[in-house]
Amino acid sequence: MENTTINIVNTIGDVYGVEAEDGQKVFELIIKAFTDKKKVILSFQNIEMLTTAFLNTAIGQLYKDYQEEYIKVNLKVSDVSESGKVALKRVVDTAKLYYKDPEALKRSIDEISED
Amino acid sequence: MNKLVSINNTFESFQSLIHLYENNKGELFGEIHLEIRQFFAANMSAALGAVLDKFVSNLNNIHFDYINPKIELILLKNDFLTYFGKQRAADTNNTTIKFQKLKPIDGKYFKNYVIEELIEGHNTDLPQMSKGAKEKIIEAIYEIFVNAQIHSETKFIYTCGQFFPNKNKIEFTIVDTGIGFREKINNRFGSQLKSTQAIKWAVEEKRTTKEGISGGLGLAILKEFVGVNKGKMQIVSNDGFYQFDGEGESIKTFEGEFPGTIVNLQFRTDDINNYSLKSEININDIF
Repeated sequence: MENTTINIVNTIGDVYGVEAEDGQKVFELIIKAFTDKKKVILSFQNIEMLTTAFLNTAIGQLYKDYQEEYIKVNLKVSDVSESGKVALKRVVDTAKLYYKDPEALKRSIDEISED
Repeated sequence: MNKLVSINNTFESFQSLIHLYENNKGELFGEIHLEIRQFFAANMSAALGAVLDKFVSNLNNIHFDYINPKIELILLKNDFLTYFGKQRAADTNNTTIKFQKLKPIDGKYFKNYVIEELIEGHNTDLPQMSKGAKEKIIEAIYEIFVNAQIHSETKFIYTCGQFFPNKNKIEFTIVDTGIGFREKINNRFGSQLKSTQAIKWAVEEKRTTKEGISGGLGLAILKEFVGVNKGKMQIVSNDGFYQFDGEGESIKTFEGEFPGTIVNLQFRTDDINNYSLKSEININDIF
């Protein structure tokens, strides 16, 4: 399978990966590549700021339609800062749990209602 | 006559602003008179601005009948009063972080604002601060701004802040006049949470109202950082009040309701923690 590189700065036209809407642009490109059976290298080169809101839409929502194993094999990241790695890991772990147990949120609402 | 006396970052001060709102929210094409006395924390301009904007949207005229001269100078320096027909004053001490009213789609303006007001504008005031801590503060502010953008359904977002070089503190406030935590969460889950329960739910990790997308990390990460930084975070949403600081969490209910959400952040600028320590995360083991 061929590799394709997605450059985040170029995709969103900004060195700040902060807005959810910009994350969506990155997400759509990854999906395009996956649909075309390409492996993706997602480059964070020159990114200066990241929010979890951006990473949730860019990467977190991949777990909705793709299996963990598929993502592991077909998506690699490069040039991620140390703080970016920490944020990305949390976003990914949260996404895996969210799609595995969609009822968890509803249960947490029920729990707090009983407080 | 409406009086705001000694407005600081306290439950009581937020209550005063809520009273101001509740007492005048029914007014239409009216004249609303206001006095500001003794003290007014500059960052609270964001909350006051949001309340006054609600009155202006009912075509009321706002009259500042009296503002303590010291307060007036600060509110001229931070641009707040320029939104109400006054001439701005130069900030020679460079300790204000300007009052700003933005549309939720104005992310790019917010970025310039953050760079000008927090990064480049105050390079010389924050010598003791580690680069990592400064980045964490800016990240935290961004997470809150993006939350207001995504969740609040507001027409405008109001921000303001203040540096306190002698106290090693920075205060920053982000306000929206959107639907609030309670309605957002109850709409999503068909629940009947009170404002206080809604806020308490939302500050925990992995709690999100987004459908089909995971999330709920922004407030949780902010809370962790506030803990390490020994800062403070306050959330006012409708009649709910939440505070987290070194003494833990406290939750209270207001009399009346704020027409939206205030997130008030206080960070210590003498934080020398190294936040850019190498993480133990292997880049090949993220997914």
